Amino acid sequence: MSRGGDGLPASPPRRPLRTGPLWLALQLVLSGSLLLLFLLPIYALFTYSPISSLIANANNAGVREALWLTFFTSGIAVLAAVLFAIPMGYLLARRRFPGRTVVESLVALPVVVPHLLVGLGLFFLLVVPGAPLYRFTQAIGFPVYDTIWGVVLVMVFVSAPYTVLASELSFRAVDGRVLEASRSLGAGPATAFLTVTLPLASRGIVAGLLLTWARAVSEIGGLLILAAFVYPGGPYNGPVTTTISVYIYNLFQVGDLADAAAVSSLFLIIAFALFLVVRLGERSGWLPWRRGELEP
Amino acid sequence: MSEWVVDGLEADLDHFHLGPVDLTLTPGRAVAVLGASGAGKTTLLRTLAGFLRMRRGRILRDGTDISDWPPESRGLGYVPQGFGLLPHRTVERNVRYPMEIRDRPQAAQRTQELLERFRLTPLAHRYPARLSGGELQRVAIARALAAEPGLIVWDEPWQALDVLARHDLGVVLEEMRQTEPIPMVIVTHDPALAFSVADSFLVLHAGQVRNQCDAVALMRAPTDAFSARFVGYENVYDRPDLEGKGRSPFRSWLVDRAGPEGLAFASPTLSPSVSASPLWEGKVRSARPSPLGVTVEVVVDDLLVTLRMPPPVTPPLPTLGERLRFGIDPASLQPLGTRHRTVAGG
Repeated sequence: MSRGGDGLPASPPRRPLRTGPLWLALQLVLSGSLLLLFLLPIYALFTYSPISSLIANANNAGVREALWLTFFTSGIAVLAAVLFAIPMGYLLARRRFPGRTVVESLVALPVVVPHLLVGLGLFFLLVVPGAPLYRFTQAIGFPVYDTIWGVVLVMVFVSAPYTVLASELSFRAVDGRVLEASRSLGAGPATAFLTVTLPLASRGIVAGLLLTWARAVSEIGGLLILAAFVYPGGPYNGPVTTTISVYIYNLFQVGDLADAAAVSSLFLIIAFALFLVVRLGERSGWLPWRRGELEP
Repeated sequence: MSEWVVDGLEADLDHFHLGPVDLTLTPGRAVAVLGASGAGKTTLLRTLAGFLRMRRGRILRDGTDISDWPPESRGLGYVPQGFGLLPHRTVERNVRYPMEIRDRPQAAQRTQELLERFRLTPLAHRYPARLSGGELQRVAIARALAAEPGLIVWDEPWQALDVLARHDLGVVLEEMRQTEPIPMVIVTHDPALAFSVADSFLVLHAGQVRNQCDAVALMRAPTDAFSARFVGYENVYDRPDLEGKGRSPFRSWLVDRAGPEGLAFASPTLSPSVSASPLWEGKVRSARPSPLGVTVEVVVDDLLVTLRMPPPVTPPLPTLGERLRFGIDPASLQPLGTRHRTVAGG
């Protein structure tokens, strides 16, 4: 295409520079090793138990219940991240206030502490008689010990930081000049937020929400302490609070390796399918946040 | 079209103080804001646009005080550095944006007209990331006009554009001024385009207005070192430089004619027939061809003086270290620091 007299040429699509074969081989070997580390355990899981066991488990009421509970509670955790973590990310990105650095470190704390500690902390806060908020949870009718709300609470605790951090970075990356241009073109603060800030930050925010969801689904440490129906068939008659990871852990604990492998495989298939859908949606431009980068 | 009056505007940004600035902008007039980096040019524009709070002064649009109005209500089209296009919208949807958010009727039709007018129709479905600098610029103008502003305020429109795109933009802006007499405030570093577009100039230095005058006055009599360099004076001396290393006949001669801040003069012509007196002698430091002949730098009493040999230049060129005699027409000397202001715009 001729661009004579049109100013700066548009940048051509970038191709990586050609590199030497040795360097390329090294890259392939290193990333290949890592990929193997990811794939081999999955391969082992899938091959340990026959496909018939996988189907049988997919039809098992306990497995289905655990799967449903996992998606339900992690869904609420994602919703909580949307409601609380995104605004917090915005606050941290846009406002200067004393102690902001401290707040930022506190937000990152759940990412770095072992999750058993999270469970213990919540346990001492909410569950043991005489705990600071024990009466409160009883009074408002949201007891957390061995309840779905306990599961949700643990999940939010460990997973929300990912959305806070991702949305803070995304909001900060939005070009202030684009925002100012839109304001002077007639957009009020709310319109500018909805038509400029949010669409431009959405890609990073969605990535954060995906991480939040993944973290919530894979949680086990905190759950084992606060809200896990650990012994299937035991004397406990309360609500079922077994998420899929706890369910698999239980199977493993009682020595049912074949079923543990089968349920794990089942879950892997579902999780992988979900990620694939999001990725494909992103590539196709169906999801909005990459549109500016795509050639129509 | 509106008339804008900026009256004693002052603003503070961290430790930077701007103003007071007075401006009158009538339909069809353009003011160029000049100044070195950090002089307060962008701060002035952002204050006008409503992104920075004014500390003192007023902004009047057709007599209405809009000093406290939010940016979206001012009817002022602010084009920031880099154009501020929405990267997630196509060219067409960028141009339609101001009409879309205000629910204007016939937005689609008006968008098409603007795209047509700025030769953007073939690019309508492209995203900004895929446009050249000149194309981005036309989108920015089309979008600014779509908002039907009463004033366009443009920060560095020519930044990072090549020579041809600059020329194109000059043409587009000139066309626009003839069809839509919207007043404009333009920040620029580019003298050629500033002179081609602006009727008057506002020169800022460290937040203060150093000079405010029309194009002819700026050309003829720059009052400060920045303006002098901007309009093409090669020989610009601060007073401390002139007084620096003791007295010599040449320095004394210049100091006697300098203003409070120094002195500027265009390159004296170097020709044998020079009659100006007295004649000075300098040692050649460089000689290079330029569009206007040969530019020769000589050193006189530790001061660098740029001279010009008008074409046609007959070889040989002056050689390094050679001694040259030249004269300076006293009438060409421009004292700096004598403050004079005429109302800009108006």
